[in-house]
Amino acid sequence: MSAGRRTRGLRAACTGCRRRSWLLSCLSGPLECCARDRARLLELLALEDRALIDAVAGRRKAELHARYGSFTARELPRDPHVEAICRHCCGYPQALDDRATAPPLEVAGGAARLAKLTAAPVVAILGSRAPSDYGVQMARSLARGLAASGVTVAASLTDGVAVAAHAGAMDAGGASVAVMGGGLAVSCPARRRSLYERVKHAGCAVSKLPLDCAGRRWGQLASERILAALSRMAVVVEADDTPEDLAAARIAVALGRTVAAIPGRVTSPLSRGTHALLMDGATLVRGPRDVLELLYTVGTAEQCEPPPAPVGAPTDTGLQPHLRAILERVGSGCDTPDKLARAGVEPSAAVLALSELEVIGLLARGDGGRYMPRNAL
Amino acid sequence: MLARAHAFTIEDLHTRHVSVEVDVRAGLPAFTIVGLADTAVREARERIQAAILNSGYEFPSRRIIANLAPGDVRKAGPGLDLALACALLAASGQLPRERLERVALFGELALDGAVRPSRGALAVAHAARRAGMRALALAPACAREAMLIDGLDVPAVAHLRSAVRVLSGGPGDELGEHPALGARGQGAIDEHAADMREGDLDEVRGQHHAVKAIVIAAAGAHNVLLNGAPGTGKTMLAQRIASILPPLSREEAVEVTRIHSVTGARVSALAVSRPFRAPHHSITAAGLVGGASRGSIGEVVLAHNGVLFLDELSEFSRSTLEALRQPLEDGRVAIARARHSAVYPARFVLVAATNPCPCGYAGDGDRCSCSEAQMARQRRRLSGPLLDRIDLLANLHVETDDERAPALISSAQARAQVACARERQAARLAAEGVTVNARMDGRMLGRHARLDERGERMLRGARAAGLLSARGEHRVLRVARTIADLDASERVRACDLGAALALRTDPSVAGSRAA
Repeated sequence: MSAGRRTRGLRAACTGCRRRSWLLSCLSGPLECCARDRARLLELLALEDRALIDAVAGRRKAELHARYGSFTARELPRDPHVEAICRHCCGYPQALDDRATAPPLEVAGGAARLAKLTAAPVVAILGSRAPSDYGVQMARSLARGLAASGVTVAASLTDGVAVAAHAGAMDAGGASVAVMGGGLAVSCPARRRSLYERVKHAGCAVSKLPLDCAGRRWGQLASERILAALSRMAVVVEADDTPEDLAAARIAVALGRTVAAIPGRVTSPLSRGTHALLMDGATLVRGPRDVLELLYTVGTAEQCEPPPAPVGAPTDTGLQPHLRAILERVGSGCDTPDKLARAGVEPSAAVLALSELEVIGLLARGDGGRYMPRNAL
Repeated sequence: MLARAHAFTIEDLHTRHVSVEVDVRAGLPAFTIVGLADTAVREARERIQAAILNSGYEFPSRRIIANLAPGDVRKAGPGLDLALACALLAASGQLPRERLERVALFGELALDGAVRPSRGALAVAHAARRAGMRALALAPACAREAMLIDGLDVPAVAHLRSAVRVLSGGPGDELGEHPALGARGQGAIDEHAADMREGDLDEVRGQHHAVKAIVIAAAGAHNVLLNGAPGTGKTMLAQRIASILPPLSREEAVEVTRIHSVTGARVSALAVSRPFRAPHHSITAAGLVGGASRGSIGEVVLAHNGVLFLDELSEFSRSTLEALRQPLEDGRVAIARARHSAVYPARFVLVAATNPCPCGYAGDGDRCSCSEAQMARQRRRLSGPLLDRIDLLANLHVETDDERAPALISSAQARAQVACARERQAARLAAEGVTVNARMDGRMLGRHARLDERGERMLRGARAAGLLSARGEHRVLRVARTIADLDASERVRACDLGAALALRTDPSVAGSRAA
């Protein structure tokens, strides 16, 4: 550790750290075999390089030991837009630098930008890959509010909540950090390409694996550790009570990060995980305002500036009373014109009000044409 | 000696006049038919010979040449038999030639000389009147069909001998008992009409929003997409649109009846209700627009002036749905194949129904179990050019029994409203050359769908919020115009625009899981 501190100030990752990421990409196959057993995988990843080779390399042990000895950084693929940094570099995020095994990172978007983004409080937005439209809207509006208030949003780039979080941050014109499960050149699915480009353009994408290494399942798990460690607070938007959906949240708890959750309907299986977290003591949050309050009051004394008011998200102040009444009814479950009519609203007035609210941006049409509030009431 | 008779051949939906010339002269006995005749026409030689002999006339054992003019039109079907036989009799001096010039002949001959009915009598009668014929002689079974055309004498001829009598100046045969003919000759459209009349909008409980959408669709001839979970009543609602459409005008009725007559359905009266076609989703593109073989007519043409209902829209193959683009845009289908090309009329109201996602329950609490990739696939199937041509999207939601409100409106009431709205549209659009709001283009919208101030503000807001594309704006304005018409309002007000916005189509039909 002391040697590491002495050389801190390097501009690019040192050979020793890059050798680590090279080794992981070489052992990607055997590690994938261990991915089912989460605890064992994390144990393995905590091993020193030589010990890791002995543990999983099998028949390739001798060969890998030899190549390990003669490794040079030139063996790794390079990309002019991607910088490699490690804990010996000046731009390395402090939040990660808490132990000797802090991983080297490949950063698309530049180490300087990553340093700037992680200087602001980082909130990880976590959740299911197949959320309901409620989860998507909540993730998006939460990220929008946080990004507009100067908080950095971090998430993986898997389907569902994570993608909604990045899209929300982009909505507000903010920047987000995408923590990728595999190499930066290969791990983005084709359907997320445009979002990925936008994230890289405004913010950063980081990965601990070399550019061309497909992370597969184990890489995803390992990246969740980076995601949890990088952030000061983790918000679970919508998650089922399964080890996959809650993996990052559990890691965040283990790392001592603040974990918060947005509640859903108690009858919904898609919110079982968030409710389980709430029962275990996670903090309940309803929107960006609650998250900001948590960040700026519970946080350490060094960063006690007053929180800027959430901007960017359309506010509902000055809303006409009849529109406000309709908005509240929609929020309480009267989410179709027919339901509003049954609740006693005159049908043509109901439809007009719904359209007006949609035009203002307070309502959106969700699955099957149901209306839903775009921001927490 | 030479004789000339007049007949008609049916090519797709067009009926072509055919001049049948028969020349009989000395030479080796032979019977040749020239003039691009297909197999059925060439086989006529044998039928005609047997029919003439069995009717007690003489078949000249000389050299006979029959020419079918014009020579570049392919002649199909057995409908030319009667004209050939009569011209042959005239050429051999067994029949006076004068009347052959003025009486068109149409029918297939049996070996005993009886005249069999051929399909397309109405189309032939229509063409005969246009060609200036005074009379059309055909089999009694299809004489009633031909009588639907005014200004044409239609003597029925049950036998070759009757034809000879008519051509010699005698009367035609009896038409026979009408009920018997009715029972045998009821065409597909009449049966359809009876089926469709059974459904009434007052059987639809609840789903008021969607019922309104259907009434709007009928009033402005807008294409409509019904989106909802299984069992919410999409199909039921779609079938009832036939009961509220305005009755056919006379020209429309003739067009519809002609199409059905050509496809072989024997019709005894003009169609009274609009056609309703509901092909299964396994249909091919050729089945939908036609063109599988020469003269085959697609479902969109059969739905001309009526309703085309596509249930489970997302299950139709991509190429089938793409084939709908031209008819939806132009109101016609142009088919070009290696050996033939044809243009058919196809102006219909498209009513489509779909589930919001593959499992069908997206948006219905937590029942949906589809992954994002499945939703994306559904969205890809539905989105794009087809949705661009659908004006209205009505969402149906699961309703429990006690939530279900009584029916909104009965078909009779809705029909009256629709008729009123159509009158207003026709009066307003008379100078534009269209009759319904759905056919208004951007220019016409500028003239006829002006918004009030609040509506203008709302439209600007919707544009700024990214809810409407340029084309989407036109769609919404057209629908708003129809809603105002249903309300008998000259201006398009903000509330009309609001209702139209709530019914707009957008690619989020299939869930919004992708943020």
